[in-house]
Amino acid sequence: MAEFECRLKKFRQLKELTQEQLAAKVGVRRETIMRLEKAQYNPSLKLAIDISRAVDAPIEEIFIFE
Amino acid sequence: MKKSNVKLWVACGIFCLLCSLVSSWYAITFNDARLVTPMDFGSYTFQVRDLPMILSISLTCIYIFSLFVLLFLHIGKNNRQAGQANTTRKLNPKLGMLGFLGFLGFAGIWTYSMDGIVSPFAFFLFFGFFGFYYEGKMSGTFMDERFRENATRAQLKANKIALSIILISLVIFCQGRLGGKLEYTLIAIIVVLSLALALDIFLTEYLLYRYDCGDQVDGDEE
Repeated sequence: MAEFECRLKKFRQLKELTQEQLAAKVGVRRETIMRLEKAQYNPSLKLAIDISRAVDAPIEEIFIFE
Repeated sequence: MKKSNVKLWVACGIFCLLCSLVSSWYAITFNDARLVTPMDFGSYTFQVRDLPMILSISLTCIYIFSLFVLLFLHIGKNNRQAGQANTTRKLNPKLGMLGFLGFLGFAGIWTYSMDGIVSPFAFFLFFGFFGFYYEGKMSGTFMDERFRENATRAQLKANKIALSIILISLVIFCQGRLGGKLEYTLIAIIVVLSLALALDIFLTEYLLYRYDCGDQVDGDEE
């Protein structure tokens, strides 16, 4: 898996969303959001775009690949 | 299925059973146990007194066939519903107990020594049903992209392990006759194939559970 830094937690908290709410918005389980925030899961392009739309932030700022 | 329908099917089953019992009693008492004791069907000639037995057997066969059709329709309906809902199928973890049926494979030792029948060795495959325990634990889980990815990963790893076991065993068995008898080698191959496939079925569910639920242990922060 490619190493990357994920700032999803920061953007999610800025939008005042819980993991559960964000998961429901993008159509995944809360566990997936949890793994994403810990940068332990590399999302598909579609999921990355959905998340970026849900938290109103550009993809490249949420997921930073070294 | 509605409760009234279940009651109807159970009633039909009881009726078929009763018909079989009554017709067997009739055949034993009034028809020299024809169609009850083993007989040569090559020289069989129809007699009116055979009718109760023929009817009850036909009725039971139709009932069992209908049960199978119903079962397949129900499975198909469940799968369609699960597919539409994007969730895993509903299953009781207690079904994992069916894995104990795998011990039936040991019956092969007895049947082989008695009649030379080796097919019961294939029952070792039922050990794979232990996987129902993990599948049941994950029943009704929403299948998002990570779940599907984990499912594929688990399936691939299980297949790899099972195929490796099969390959290594076949290479070993093909080196020479086991215990000086080719038959023993073939029996050993049946046993290894059954066990490897059972392991494949079990590992697919177990690894998926581990990949998926291992994540939840890490933390539950919001």
